Amino acid sequence: MLRVEALTVARGGRRVLDSVDLALAPGRTLAVIGESGAGKSTLIGAILGLLRPQSGHIAWNGEDLRAINPSLVMQEPRAAFNPALSLRRSVMEPVRAQRLKLPEGRLDRLCTGLELDPDLLDRRPHEVSIGQAQRLGILRALIAKAPLVLFDEPLSALDAVTQKHTANLIAALQREEGFAALVVTHDLGYAAAHADEVVILRDGRIEEAASAETFFRAPQTDYGCALCEAALALGALERAA
Amino acid sequence: MSLRVTGLSVERAGRTILHQTDLTIGAGERIALVGPSGSGKSTLGHALTDRLCGQGGAVALVPQSPDEALDPLRTLSFHWHEAERALGLPADSERRLALLAALGLSNADLTTRPWSWSRGMQQRFVIAMALIGAPKLLILDEPTSALDPVIAAATMKLVDRHLAASGTAMLLITHDLGLAAKRAERIWVLDAGRIVEDAPTAKLVAQPASAVARALVAHRNWAVLPC
Repeated sequence: MLRVEALTVARGGRRVLDSVDLALAPGRTLAVIGESGAGKSTLIGAILGLLRPQSGHIAWNGEDLRAINPSLVMQEPRAAFNPALSLRRSVMEPVRAQRLKLPEGRLDRLCTGLELDPDLLDRRPHEVSIGQAQRLGILRALIAKAPLVLFDEPLSALDAVTQKHTANLIAALQREEGFAALVVTHDLGYAAAHADEVVILRDGRIEEAASAETFFRAPQTDYGCALCEAALALGALERAA
Repeated sequence: MSLRVTGLSVERAGRTILHQTDLTIGAGERIALVGPSGSGKSTLGHALTDRLCGQGGAVALVPQSPDEALDPLRTLSFHWHEAERALGLPADSERRLALLAALGLSNADLTTRPWSWSRGMQQRFVIAMALIGAPKLLILDEPTSALDPVIAAATMKLVDRHLAASGTAMLLITHDLGLAAKRAERIWVLDAGRIVEDAPTAKLVAQPASAVARALVAHRNWAVLPC
């Protein structure tokens, strides 16, 4: 289980994360929602050990998180890949680095689920569309069966229909394999459809934290209400008739 | 008066991106152009803008990202004056104040450069600039995709209010039928460079005829809230 306790991260003398607590169990999905600058990507950087916190504690089952090799879907799909390498080499990197034996058919199955032609793997990042690059980033994050997968705006470059197909594939795989998913997003629709828990981050602090069911039935803060109203106005969510 | 365009098509490198298309947009009509990635939506928006400009019609296009419209080294005031000059209009401070107020930018400081503004403010400024020439048609290409949802919803509300008051027609380009259905009274569905459906929003959502429209309708919302 992932536990983040009293996490504070400062940059340039400013607290970009301030006393953040959260927990995430295997097989569960936590959506971290907030606007630009709220500290969402900083949280991912701190969990992965890429940013040194000012204070606080991050652990997986009480131990160092790095031992479980968490995987990451990066926000910028093309920047996520080494431009000099084939996509196959980049996608298979976690398997190679951890010296795993890939179960037969896993790569093909994931490609099919993500609606990716396996021939794309022999191209370089600039030779695929941004939407294909984003799905290849998801493929790389899922290939090695990491127990914790961090998703940073994983569907932002996909069209509305492909977003839903991809989210359904991730959810089906999670039910089967039991990984914990922490999803940073500003899309409340995604959270309503797929998250078990919701954390609203604002100016580096947790504004609201609840089960998804509780939050979407009755958000407790003005900002939570404003987010729900915006998602309804933009058609990401619909109210029951 | 409605806008009418016939035989609109686009080819690139020998490939047809947009097949021969005839379009009619009523005065003040709110239309959404929806379709999957790569179907030719933005290409149609640009081609329509070029054709209507060529016919002397007043049309303005707001690109997906304010980065495409704003020079980071120039002040916002410079951008505004350039837009007025490009349209052959004299500087008009009353018009500027009215448009900025309509887009919620009454207190904005135009002596600064774009990077000192938030993305939401930049996008609203670009929309306000697009309205300087009082266009008959405003084309918005994925106008909310670069914005946080609260800002995006507020921006669309301000745009709706201004367009309704001025009688300006809107073509909203989006991959998201959920957004389109909230904002438009008529929907064009584009698939592989062809408009395969043109219907009032309520009819399209209730009875999509084409495979691509059925997929869009089936996936138009993420979830339905209980109340």
